[in-house]
Amino acid sequence: MNARRKIVVVIPAYNEAAVVGDVIASVPRCIDDMDVLCLVVDDGSTDDTADVARSHGAVALRHVVNLGVGAATRTGLRGAKEFNPDVVVTIDADGQHDPAEIASLVRCLVENKYDVVIGSRIHLKGMPALRVFANLFLNAVMFVVYGKVVSDSQSGFKAFNRRSLNIIELDSAGYEICSEIIGEIVRNQLSYKSLPVRAVYTQYSRAKGQPFLNGINLVLNVFVRMLRRV
Amino acid sequence: MIVLISQIFSLALALIVISKSYVDFRSRRESLPMFVVWTLTWAIIVSVALSPGLIEFLLRGNTAGAGIGRILGMGVVFEFFLLYRVYTRVERLEQKITALVQEVALRDGLKPGAKKGA
Repeated sequence: MNARRKIVVVIPAYNEAAVVGDVIASVPRCIDDMDVLCLVVDDGSTDDTADVARSHGAVALRHVVNLGVGAATRTGLRGAKEFNPDVVVTIDADGQHDPAEIASLVRCLVENKYDVVIGSRIHLKGMPALRVFANLFLNAVMFVVYGKVVSDSQSGFKAFNRRSLNIIELDSAGYEICSEIIGEIVRNQLSYKSLPVRAVYTQYSRAKGQPFLNGINLVLNVFVRMLRRV
Repeated sequence: MIVLISQIFSLALALIVISKSYVDFRSRRESLPMFVVWTLTWAIIVSVALSPGLIEFLLRGNTAGAGIGRILGMGVVFEFFLLYRVYTRVERLEQKITALVQEVALRDGLKPGAKKGA
């Protein structure tokens, strides 16, 4: 009898004890014939993020110091491999992404045999104007650097198949990991799809997002990375 | 106006570095020779910033002046070298710290008793 297929949902989290429980509880326990496991990476939180995650049935990995969302995502992807998943999904811990849409990403990935599916927040209403501008600007930078049009290059809501999980090499520590993933998709010629998803902008999730000026840092990182690869 | 701003900027930077160096020296994180080196170095930088004519005087048309010019040029190159060294060391340290923290998180979080929902 074949073992059931598995999806691991990686949730990088920093001081999200207030909401991570709700996010985990909203993740479906199975999608089609695939079991779903939540893996929370507590990035050196000063609250009880890891304990709350475990109490809601998630596996929790804990950084002893805060390293950044990029490092937390990488830890999560490495940890996910230990469970031999068929699909890995990354999702934000602040409730910005609707866990109910994980099924859409996974089905798009599996049915169309894409290597990566990116949940794109751009197509739908609700995103604050400043963030729309920042995201469009960064999308333009991605196009200049990598020659690829990605409608939401900075989305943390992504699904990876086993092949892409084993191929991509990441070393970013901060928010620049989103740009780095785009670079890896291009470098390894992975197939990808941007899928419109709903973004939930509460006062809490707006406060949690990256500062607008961090965009300058991201652009610099993209060009430094490009120079390294030359 | 720009000259004044650059002079104030140089003075402020020098004060920050010297005061930080002094604090490190007092808390025994820095040795006396290093404190003296940083203080002298920044004193020279500030002197040149506040009196740009000093360089011109030193370089004016004689053999000793040409020698000073070469020393200054070498000093600038050496500073960029130091900057490069510091940059690469910080990068490597960051990578090592990240790798260490990740290994601890994975080791502790994935040990048999800790796994749940698998």
